[in-house]
Amino acid sequence: MNHIVYMSRAVRPLSDQDLQELLDQCRRDNALHNVTGVLFYSHGNIAQLIEGESSIIDPLYERISRDGRHSNVTQLVNKPIPSRSFPDWSMAFHPLESEGFTALGGFLLPNQVPPTPESLTIADALLVDLVRQAVFGADTPTTPSPSLA
Amino acid sequence: MHDHQLQSILRHMPAGIATLLGPELRYGFVNEAMQMLLGGATPTGEPLAEHTGGLAADLLEVMQQVYETGRPYVAKAYPFSAPDPTDGVVAKRYFDLALEPLHDENDEPQGLLLFAVDVTGQEEARQRAHELSLETRRLDARLRVLSETAPQITFSVDTSGQYEYVSPQWYYFTGQPPTADLNAIWPLLIHPDDRLRVLYQADAARAAGVGWSFEYRMRRHDGQYRWMLSRALPELHAPDKPVFWHGAVTEVHDQRELAEALRRGEAELRFLADSIPQLIWTATAEGFIDYYNQHTGDYTGLSAQELGPTGWVALLDPTEQAAAARRWVHCVASGDAYEGLYRMRRHDGQYRWHIIRARQLADSRGLRWFGACTDVDDQHRLREVLQTQYDELARTNRDLDTFVYTASHDLKQPLFNLRGLFEELRRTATFQDSEQEQLLEMVDESLRQLDGTLQELAATVQDQRELAAPTEDLDLRSVLEEVLLGLRTQVHEAQATIDLELSAAPTLVYGRANLRSVLHNLLSNALKFTHPARPAHVQIATSLSETGQPQLTVRDNGLGMELRQDPFTSFQLFERQNPQVAGAGVGLYLVQRILDSRGGHLEVTSTVGQGTTFTVHWFE
Ligand SMILES: Cc1cc2nc3c(=O)[nH]c(=O)nc-3n(C[C@H](O)[C@H](O)[C@H](O)COP(=O)(O)O)c2cc1C
Repeated sequence: MNHIVYMSRAVRPLSDQDLQELLDQCRRDNALHNVTGVLFYSHGNIAQLIEGESSIIDPLYERISRDGRHSNVTQLVNKPIPSRSFPDWSMAFHPLESEGFTALGGFLLPNQVPPTPESLTIADALLVDLVRQAVFGADTPTTPSPSLA
Repeated sequence: MHDHQLQSILRHMPAGIATLLGPELRYGFVNEAMQMLLGGATPTGEPLAEHTGGLAADLLEVMQQVYETGRPYVAKAYPFSAPDPTDGVVAKRYFDLALEPLHDENDEPQGLLLFAVDVTGQEEARQRAHELSLETRRLDARLRVLSETAPQITFSVDTSGQYEYVSPQWYYFTGQPPTADLNAIWPLLIHPDDRLRVLYQADAARAAGVGWSFEYRMRRHDGQYRWMLSRALPELHAPDKPVFWHGAVTEVHDQRELAEALRRGEAELRFLADSIPQLIWTATAEGFIDYYNQHTGDYTGLSAQELGPTGWVALLDPTEQAAAARRWVHCVASGDAYEGLYRMRRHDGQYRWHIIRARQLADSRGLRWFGACTDVDDQHRLREVLQTQYDELARTNRDLDTFVYTASHDLKQPLFNLRGLFEELRRTATFQDSEQEQLLEMVDESLRQLDGTLQELAATVQDQRELAAPTEDLDLRSVLEEVLLGLRTQVHEAQATIDLELSAAPTLVYGRANLRSVLHNLLSNALKFTHPARPAHVQIATSLSETGQPQLTVRDNGLGMELRQDPFTSFQLFERQNPQVAGAGVGLYLVQRILDSRGGHLEVTSTVGQGTTFTVHWFE
């Protein structure tokens, strides 16, 4: 079991519609391949954590990094983990129109993002908190990781 | 061949045929194709001029002339409005029109034979070709202007590497004459160190039918080698192999020098960072570490890959990791400098104290973090040792004080008893020997001294405990008067005059008991060591030091003393300042300790037989 974290920039701002499609596709494909994790999106900033067997997530990362919707894809880590920290796959972002999205499964507003799971090591929790801060900015109130609390 | 058969063939010919007879050019035979051209109205025997059917006046003129001169003429690509032979749509069409004079047996002009062949297709093609060649010439001119005004050298080269074209810039740059043999000279102008590589790479690209992009040094007209970027793309004529490569050579010398300088600068900095026996690192604006120096690897035993962008936090003592991580997230968000004292694990598992510091640098290349972890373990341990020793000393000191205090207390009672017994002995015993009387006197004196010393010892320890007493703003005169009141017997005995001159520093922030103790000791000293030949005169004055700190001087006209190390004599406990007079040592020792504890010191000057001056520096 490995996890991969990367950050990137959307080539053009993703609309709520784009995000909806991405979410639908990812939820379907990730469930199929036992991939879990979380994606942060705000104002063109993207960060994603995916966890799963490296035979699955390595080629997935390859595909994602070649996806024309974003560029400057920078991998931060790819390393073995003892167990999953995310029960399923979800996405957190600042929607352009927040009504409607709050009700949808898998969508989270940045301030609703659950605290970084305690099963992560402090180094990994720090990494996730830093990417979240990089995507949403320092001003968005988020729940700090309990392992850092 | 029969006449009507011939007529039928002529009638259905795809070319237009007509005969025009007599000077008036009357319609004779007109086949179908010609009828279509002339618009249908060609009544036999009628003059052409009356049924022109769309023929232009100039053509009629020419026909007339051909008739008269008897010289045939062909009007090339003559336009008619005529129906398309395939779909019947009337449009502009072109015909080659042959005008052939007809003669009778006597060679007299008889009329004209008109023969029209549709050449629309050819004509249109010709016109297109013409337009195309105009456009080509225009583009060609534009390309030439562009390639000759652009700052680059442009070139075309064929499959074998022969230059087909090179723009004039090449000649300006190289300083070669226009007659120079391009193919022979160019390779010679390439820097010897680059030549083989360049020729090989260009050759390989041509063989593979692909473009190229490489840099090399080329000799300029002034003999200097300059870095150039050569890029070329093949001109493809599918499915054939390319026949030409077109490209440009751009001077990139300055950019390259700059990039080289930057690279060198960066390499030097990196080398520097790698040579420093400290943990040095840099991080991105988002707070991810992207460089660890050599020493980090040596210290941690982990590679940069193993440490990763946040792995440093795992090196800290587990109890400190969470707080350190939180602090880092906060600093990245706020831009505050990061600073902390942490234990960091070495490769062998030992934790050593480090000061971790990081600061943000924003420049044209963006924002980055620069950090260092300094090993302060030895200093830290030393400080800990010192602290323990200091604590131990302080405790010993306290114990000693307590001991002295209790000892002096405990000795008081036996001394008291001893005194009582001695008085009793003196009262009851009788001595014959006068020397014995004197002996008794000496015992008595010794007992009194012992008593005095014990009392002073107790007082010292007592005052000692008050050293740390709180300070207050004190009026020197009132405290002095209080002290003098306590010493009035001594003043009286010494017949002393006391002068007070306190206006320079009339008040003092000090512990009250401490101040009283200092004044008491100095004054009683002055009153004790009086000169037998003159009445005592004690002058007390305040002043300000160069730095504006308050000072006090006590000057007497007494016995004076020998000072061992002028003028900063330090007074050892129990050391007698004056052998003739009893019990001076403890007092000065006490004064010194009080001043010491408040950051001041005592200074003394003295002349034997004339007097002593003590200067109290309350604060340094
Ligand atoms: C920011 C971003 C995140 C993505 N995350 C995932 C993901 O978690 N799982 C996934 O299957 N596809 C993800 N994709 C989509 C993939 O890049 C790719 O489009 C998808 O796997 C379909 O690939 P295919 O068309 O080659 O089959 C993501 C795309 C983007 C732009």
